[in-house]
Amino acid sequence: MSRVFNRRKLKFNQKNKEQQDDKLVPKPLYPNLDQNLEVLHFLYKDCSDMVFRSFVIADQTKAQLIYIKGMSNIEEMDSNVLTPLIQKADQQSINPKTLIEQRLSVAEVTRIESFDACIDQLSIGNPILLLEGNQQGFALGLAKWEKRGVEEPSGELVVRGPREGFTESAGVNTSLLRRKIRSPQLKMKTLKVGRYTQTTIMITYIEGLSDKTLIEEISQRIKRIDIDGILESGYIEELIQDNSYSPFPQVLVTERPDTAVSNLLEGRVVIIVDGTPFVLVAPTTFYSLFQSGEDYYHHFMISTATRWLRFLFLFISLLLPSFYIAIITYHQEMVPTTLLLTMVDSREAVPFPALVEALLMEITFEGLREAGLRLPKQVGAAVSIVGALVIGQAAVDAGLVSDPMVMVVALTGIASFTIPRYNIAIPFRMLRFPMMLLAGTFGLVGIMMGLLAILTHMSTLRSFGVPYLSPMAPMKGKDMKDTLIRAPLWKLNTRPHLTGEYNEYRQDSDQKTFRRQGR
Amino acid sequence: MRCTKVIYFIGIIFFLLTGCWDRKETNDLWVVTGVGLDQTKGGEVEVTVEIHSPSGNEGDGAGGEGNQAGGNKTILQTGKGVSIPKAIEDLDTKLPREILWSHTEAIVINKELAETGIREELDFFIRHPEPRLRSYVFISEGNAKDIMALLPPLERSSSEVLIELAKSEILMKVTLFDLMEMLKGESGASILPMIDILPPEEGKQPLETIAYINRSAILEHGRMIGTITDRLTRGVLWFRNEIKESTVTVKPEEADGLISMKLIKGRTELIPKIDGNQLKMTVKVETIDDVIQNKTNWDLKNMEKHKMLEKELAQKIEMRLTDTLEMVQKEMEVDIIDFGETFRQKHPDKWKSIKRDWKERFPSVEVTFEIKASVLRTGQGSIP
Repeated sequence: MSRVFNRRKLKFNQKNKEQQDDKLVPKPLYPNLDQNLEVLHFLYKDCSDMVFRSFVIADQTKAQLIYIKGMSNIEEMDSNVLTPLIQKADQQSINPKTLIEQRLSVAEVTRIESFDACIDQLSIGNPILLLEGNQQGFALGLAKWEKRGVEEPSGELVVRGPREGFTESAGVNTSLLRRKIRSPQLKMKTLKVGRYTQTTIMITYIEGLSDKTLIEEISQRIKRIDIDGILESGYIEELIQDNSYSPFPQVLVTERPDTAVSNLLEGRVVIIVDGTPFVLVAPTTFYSLFQSGEDYYHHFMISTATRWLRFLFLFISLLLPSFYIAIITYHQEMVPTTLLLTMVDSREAVPFPALVEALLMEITFEGLREAGLRLPKQVGAAVSIVGALVIGQAAVDAGLVSDPMVMVVALTGIASFTIPRYNIAIPFRMLRFPMMLLAGTFGLVGIMMGLLAILTHMSTLRSFGVPYLSPMAPMKGKDMKDTLIRAPLWKLNTRPHLTGEYNEYRQDSDQKTFRRQGR
Repeated sequence: MRCTKVIYFIGIIFFLLTGCWDRKETNDLWVVTGVGLDQTKGGEVEVTVEIHSPSGNEGDGAGGEGNQAGGNKTILQTGKGVSIPKAIEDLDTKLPREILWSHTEAIVINKELAETGIREELDFFIRHPEPRLRSYVFISEGNAKDIMALLPPLERSSSEVLIELAKSEILMKVTLFDLMEMLKGESGASILPMIDILPPEEGKQPLETIAYINRSAILEHGRMIGTITDRLTRGVLWFRNEIKESTVTVKPEEADGLISMKLIKGRTELIPKIDGNQLKMTVKVETIDDVIQNKTNWDLKNMEKHKMLEKELAQKIEMRLTDTLEMVQKEMEVDIIDFGETFRQKHPDKWKSIKRDWKERFPSVEVTFEIKASVLRTGQGSIP
């Protein structure tokens, strides 16, 4: 069966190749305006949002202005393009060069020579000016469409730190980065992906900090993507990550320019996808997913304590229910007597085994969480009240679950929200269920088996060549100062080493202020 | 690919075919908190288990007294048999649920049973995987069953009272592990706390009281041979370097009242010496005390008075130790004060020959005391 499938795949690939080859030869514009218009009319047949405006430049040359409704700035076109061009000319002859130089008061003008370029420019909102008898057209940088302003990212709130977040527009996003990194070393490579969407994807890096082979690898992986459309950076993430079958995220996703910039400064690559405020950062390690931008804005002791708290709650969110199940069904002797007696009392009337009880509550909780996310805001409050009060209390009153279990589930729920990044919290939340099954069947041995399996899996992962668990495994002493602890800034002299060549020192040593000598 | 599939398959088989064979839901368990061992008239062993009774949630629905804190929620059940395993088998037939032994923290042995020997009976608790070696062992004056039946007004159960009493370390605290060590020790002597029922207060139900530790039982080769009072027990604790809590009251001859002192730190060192055929033991005691009550007209800040007080304290302790020695060494002739062990540690080669007739030689060990008592804080408030 697989052979048949492979052959079909082969055929499919060949067909694709032909299509691509077709596209690869750019069709040049004709010198004749009517011929050009015919082609464009044919391409944009049944596109009611296309506007073709014909006019005559200074009573002499026929010209055509083409744009898409709602994507270009009409006022500017009126005042800076049409008005000066239609006016009668003082000079006798008009050649396109002088025309652009003397008449058009538009900042950005690009010459275009093919229909493909024509389509590209139109699709990003730039009007196109075609002239009779001229094999070149002009794309005017007058694109303007409705977009959301820069707002505080709702998914990554901070107490202290910049409140701006990326938006859906790639142009705005690059400007946010450029405003933070003024150096011309900040480079952006643009790629277009998606057969129909032609989404702009920008590979952003700092020259001299990022490894060249890494940038090469990332652009290779993005270039080989050939799908209908890219609607969100999640598409890219899923198509470029090293291990597609792992639940763990191998790319960091952020909405915050400051996080993106700090990663750029560590030599990582930021991938901006047009149409989404979420940018991707690669390569990423497990421990960097536990860092929040805020860690570097607060005092290092506090940040270190917060990090430890996060790791503690990570274990709670993964293990607490399974640990409770294992102990209450297999290892009663491990509980202090008084605690055991209390637990025995509360479990006495519960008809289910502890495993079923835990699964019941955990699934209910996950359901509530999901409902809370998707429901309209007006209903959300009602759901949380119903969920918290009614289900929790009623389940205990009805004798379906015991009090300690409600507490365990509540604590687990809170724990999974202390992890700063949503995408690393989800896999642990999901792995909790197999862990519970293991605990319910094998007790603590099962938990240990599960933990070992997870650990083994995690240590096989790589993100663009960087071991997922580094700098812990493999151990890199120098990079440890920003994993479990957040060392003071004046100690963070070296950049984390990712792959290949790297620019080791990020600051001059001796950044600590001098202690005053004597009095 | 095939290999991974096989591994997954085996993994799933592990789950489905093994399952949860030793799963024990708490609603199928009786948690035993204390055990009493008695001897019946017919010579059989009677095992009484004190089981925690889970109240469940029935009370909550009625809205009111759901969790009666401090209420007595225990059930007693007994089983009889020629040996403890037989008696427990008998017990199992009367219990609808499985017994969880791992929280048995108090083992009470009846005096009559202890007189016939406890080594064989305790063997069960030591071999069984569930009971803890950290559970406390007591000897009861009356029937162990009666002690288990008490309904203490504050604690959850009678055994909890006993555990807390043992933990307070005012008198002997012996765990199953300690007892094991003592039973196999050089001298073969062991000492256990002895409990009795505190007479209930007037107007209370006869069962509404607690058991308390008032003496110590002395055992030789696992057989109980006698008891010593609480005062002498503290003396034994001094010898064994186990003293933690002690209050000493002295009446200096020159003073017109009593001075009470509380022990802060006490350390005892036994220094054995073999002088020809004569065994000698020096008992070196160092203690630091605080004055907790001064009923005299002494100004303790005065160095002279302070010195006198320290001397009084040392004398008092020596008196107690001498009394203990008199009882243990001369009267009972049982080495519960670790002399044998000390000789073995210091002179392991000579001990082999001494050990043979240790029983005879123990009473003749010459004991000298070296007591160094100091009073650390005399207090500010009571200057007369």
